[in-house]
Amino acid sequence: MPREHRTADPSWGPRADLDILNRDIPRVDGPDKVTGRAKYSHDMRAPGLLYARLIVYPRTRGKVESIDVSGALAVPGVVWAKALKAAGANVFYQGADSVLAAVAAETLEALDDGVRAVKFVVKADSKAVVTHKGALANDAPVVARQRDAQSNISGLRERGDTAKTEAALAASDVQVDLSFEIPVQHHVCLETHGQVIVPDERGATVYASSQAVKGEPQGFAGALGLKQSEVRVITQHMGGGFGSKFGGGIEAQVAGQIVQETKRPVHLLLTRDQEFSLAGNRTGVVARVRAGASKDGALTALAAEVDRLGGLGGGSFAALPYIYKVGEMATKMRSVHTATDPNRAMRAPGHPQASFVMESVVDALAYAAGKDPLEFRKLNLPDPIWQRQLDRVATELGWPAHPHHTAPGKPDARGIARGIGFAVSAWGSSAQDNAKCQVVVFPDGSVESRTATQDLGTGARTYVAAIVAEELGLQVADVEPVIGDSDLPVNVASGGSVTTGSSAPAIKHAAHLAREALEAKLEAVLGAAVGGYVWKGGHVHVKDDTTKKLAWKQVAGLLQEPLDVTGSFQQSLHAGSIHGAQGALVEVDTLTGRVNVLKMVCVQDQGLPLNRMALRSQINGGMVQALSYALMECRVHDEATGYLLTGNLESYLIAGCQEIGELVAIIDDDEERPTLCGMAEAPIVPGQSAIANAIFNACGARLTTMPFSPDNVLTALHGKV
Amino acid sequence: MTHSDPKPEALSRRALLKGAGGVAAVGGLAATAEARSVTTLEPAPVPTLRGEVEVTLSINGATQTLKVEPRTTLLDALRTRLEPALTGTKLVCDSGSCGACTVLLDGKLAYACMNLAIDQVGRQVTTVEGLGTPEAQSDVQRAFCAEDAAMCGFCTPGFIVACHAALERKPNGTLDELKHEISGNLCRCGTYPHIFNALQRVQAERQVASQQGSKKGAK
Amino acid sequence: MRSFEVKSPRTLREAVLALPDDHGPTGARLIAGGQDLLTVLKDDIEQPSTLVRLRGVPDLGQIVVGKDGAVELGALVTLQDLADHIGVFEAQPALCEAATSIASAQIRSQATVGGNLNQRPRCPYYRHPAVVCFKKGGNTCLAEFGFSKYAAILGGGPSYFVHPSDLAPVMLALDATFHLVGKGGARAVKAREYYVLTDVALDTESVRRADEVLTKVTIPAPPRGMRTTYNKFKERASFDFALAAAAVGVRIDGGKIAEARVVLGGVAPKPWHSPEAEAALVGQPMAAEAWRAAGAAAVKDASPLEHNGYKIHLVKGVLYRALESLA
Repeated sequence: MPREHRTADPSWGPRADLDILNRDIPRVDGPDKVTGRAKYSHDMRAPGLLYARLIVYPRTRGKVESIDVSGALAVPGVVWAKALKAAGANVFYQGADSVLAAVAAETLEALDDGVRAVKFVVKADSKAVVTHKGALANDAPVVARQRDAQSNISGLRERGDTAKTEAALAASDVQVDLSFEIPVQHHVCLETHGQVIVPDERGATVYASSQAVKGEPQGFAGALGLKQSEVRVITQHMGGGFGSKFGGGIEAQVAGQIVQETKRPVHLLLTRDQEFSLAGNRTGVVARVRAGASKDGALTALAAEVDRLGGLGGGSFAALPYIYKVGEMATKMRSVHTATDPNRAMRAPGHPQASFVMESVVDALAYAAGKDPLEFRKLNLPDPIWQRQLDRVATELGWPAHPHHTAPGKPDARGIARGIGFAVSAWGSSAQDNAKCQVVVFPDGSVESRTATQDLGTGARTYVAAIVAEELGLQVADVEPVIGDSDLPVNVASGGSVTTGSSAPAIKHAAHLAREALEAKLEAVLGAAVGGYVWKGGHVHVKDDTTKKLAWKQVAGLLQEPLDVTGSFQQSLHAGSIHGAQGALVEVDTLTGRVNVLKMVCVQDQGLPLNRMALRSQINGGMVQALSYALMECRVHDEATGYLLTGNLESYLIAGCQEIGELVAIIDDDEERPTLCGMAEAPIVPGQSAIANAIFNACGARLTTMPFSPDNVLTALHGKV
Repeated sequence: MTHSDPKPEALSRRALLKGAGGVAAVGGLAATAEARSVTTLEPAPVPTLRGEVEVTLSINGATQTLKVEPRTTLLDALRTRLEPALTGTKLVCDSGSCGACTVLLDGKLAYACMNLAIDQVGRQVTTVEGLGTPEAQSDVQRAFCAEDAAMCGFCTPGFIVACHAALERKPNGTLDELKHEISGNLCRCGTYPHIFNALQRVQAERQVASQQGSKKGAK
Repeated sequence: MRSFEVKSPRTLREAVLALPDDHGPTGARLIAGGQDLLTVLKDDIEQPSTLVRLRGVPDLGQIVVGKDGAVELGALVTLQDLADHIGVFEAQPALCEAATSIASAQIRSQATVGGNLNQRPRCPYYRHPAVVCFKKGGNTCLAEFGFSKYAAILGGGPSYFVHPSDLAPVMLALDATFHLVGKGGARAVKAREYYVLTDVALDTESVRRADEVLTKVTIPAPPRGMRTTYNKFKERASFDFALAAAAVGVRIDGGKIAEARVVLGGVAPKPWHSPEAEAALVGQPMAAEAWRAAGAAAVKDASPLEHNGYKIHLVKGVLYRALESLA
């Protein structure tokens, strides 16, 4: 394109000029989802399909004596059955290492019989090592897998000046000393991990439930013994990821092996209990924090000891002080290893835990200093954005008229108490600059927007179309989004909230290039140079001269062949760093320990909203997940044997309809950056903190053990019996 | 009320006549023989299904004949024993705890994973596919789209079916009543507030429609 | 699930004769709504090779409400039909309150009165396919010294599960009678005598023999002026078994409680009738002081394990709220 025709660099433009973006855009895949037409990995079928299942040792540590699959092979309909560990092999932890064998069969019934017919004998280790206490016991076996590991402690990091911090603590006007216990949390993806692999002429097509479709061929090629170029991975729809589905794990490896050895398509998804025992988790925490503040409300000192419980993994816990600033700080952080499934990224890994600890400490200090917890926060968060957001949350919850500000309330004559609590969030997502998007305009006017992103419910598919539609003056339905396929132009894995920030600029750039290319063709027809047109309402016209115009189909008709352009990430369209504030209004029944979250409010910014409806869904979804974490989620192992006692959806509780009161998701329109960034994780960070603070405000019970289930609330209120 | 089989007391006399306090298996068979001599004979053995069986089911208004085993759940039958498979109904927990496999059996909500396929003979089975298509959605389906009540969408088919039934049972229900009707469905993405909005949206639309209907005097 | 054959008896007699004589993991099992049985099979707790379909047997699905408020429920009455029944609600509301609190709409539409009363426990150890505890022929109760959050605080030992039925406590509080028909004939068993503690039996939770079919439940006319309720406290309000529950009845006369019924759920291996709580209520004004006294009396002899001491507070709270709702 001649340089003199190039318009300004792409920009989102003034919000007032946007016809599609920054509005409520119904998801383009909504109709498929609500009618059951959307196909997920679980749903894929192929002629000759084999159903396969992993067989997993249900305890934690042991030595394999024998694995006998002959019974399985004798079951009619079973096509493949193999031991995956040899006699004498160890099982070191409950997770991928617990997979003993696998079976593949032609029907689910034969598979069931085949799995049951596999006989294994594993001599269980005398110690299961599944709790913090168990891992640190003097006689605990070393389960940590780091080379030369001498104990179950690793990654010890001490920061700050202990002497100065202790002095500052001693000198503070008010002090608090809080001990925290946060259990391991599960992702609970409704679609379990797994894939359907269909060998074909090229090599194989893999229908994977994946958050990283572009990178998946690398792992699957290895599992299948194919070249990476021979593997195509498709994720059109996925039933949840929340950080756990970056790259296939043992379920992919075994499926690949079965495909190689049977040459048949294979459907291997984890069962629900396997999903709980080997698909990753959010790090649990045991922590003790002592902190001090001055009577003016400044945070003066913080001494923290934090143990991360990430199973075999190192675990994650965001750095302290979390968001707030403290005068003097000394922290001791370490990983404590149990013989359980390593942690995986889970929506804002390490952040909700750090938020819970920090916001509880800040809250406790506020009350100790006789200060209003809202004002105390504003004092310690001088950023005007948080000030504004906190005030908005407070107003929404009725804080000004609420009777208890500087001291917690007491239950009424019936034993019921109401309270309000606050917490803030921050996120700084960096975009990845390798994102690309291809836009194709066909001479008949059809348009495709193509990029290898995936939509895990985030609404990505919709903005892949909407951004292009906005640029070309079309409707969303006029642009076909093509995503979820590793053959498409490169895009990022959906983690760290980078997807929108990385993809949207690339999509915008591609649309921009398409527009410029079309405008170059229009010069001969309508007379204006590139940059001199307005695209709106399915038409294009010369700026300030609506007599010179064409309809979209006429524009496309100028093309001799499809127009095919590829856009790339544009830094100018993206900026990180977002703020959020949340609050909760709770009602506590002090007789039963029931906590009812009557209302939760979130004010969230993220730069330019692409789709306000999808944004509100992300914000509400974050609040719901935090509420669920707060009120009821808790992984439990039997300490002696290591059996997972919460390996199903009856015993691992997640929130249902009746736990959800009023949720208010407010997009912060007061900040009008001309850039955008992803915000998928920020809304999940502070919810449990706000709820804990609300419980304290209601009745004076400071819950530092999660979840705030009736047993823990009653214990906090009345003591352990 | 009447019993079409011998009254329990008759059976008791039979057992007493046999003189046995305990109830051995052999005695049981003998009791059968004796009972036959005084009561109406059931000439045929008890109908029994075993192994692979063919069943004819009515699914979304269409008759389908499929091969299943007695142990095959309706969910597994829908997803793996039909050609083409009906995969709208999802497998998530396989134990009646989450609602992703919700279907209607004779118009009543049920978990497909907790019902045997063979038990559905003679019943109307309705899955999400039977409630609408992308081109012709039900009002509940349209409301879900309008209120953004589906994110990853895996729980959505179950919720669509549950919401249809909830609004049938409680057309004028309060939000709390409607929540109770659909409390057997879980959503991990957290779309609940949007589902509630969708329910109330449909309620309002139906109320307007029925008011207009009655205004016109038509039914 | 393992393979099984399904028999469809056409009469009650055929059904009875298809059942085994003794309890045991592989004997034929009745299937009605299947909402518990199928989970038992999926958890591999029992391995029956034959299921006996009760649904084809006539005359087991009736709901009869007498003019005096006596209620008869056939064993095949679904929980949803019971929950929806206006006549039962007017006569004995606690029955409907219990029914509507159970599980979810999807389960209630298929689950039956008989199935609910005869369901197996939900203890996470018992339900774990790899665990062999006392109830599965093993030699220990893992909950006793293990994870005991959901374990019994009353009546426990050697096994510490709690009976999960919501209808059961109400049946005891309303003085119901269970009607059984087996190979040995018909018998009627008072609800209060139906369930057994684990020092009596481990492989079953009731006196029902393996060959007996629960055909119906009869609930006598309530005393005039008796107000009853069922308060079920769930850890997760949306969908859960009871963490603690109270089936309560009071009859007020002259400003004082003249008669009281208190049966607790979620605290013991059987529904727990509490004459102690009843005694603390009788003769007292229907007010908070009596409600607190009843709670204290109900848990006076509770024996908490490591993790279930909170149930002592919870039971007091649940009982208080139940009585409060009747005031």
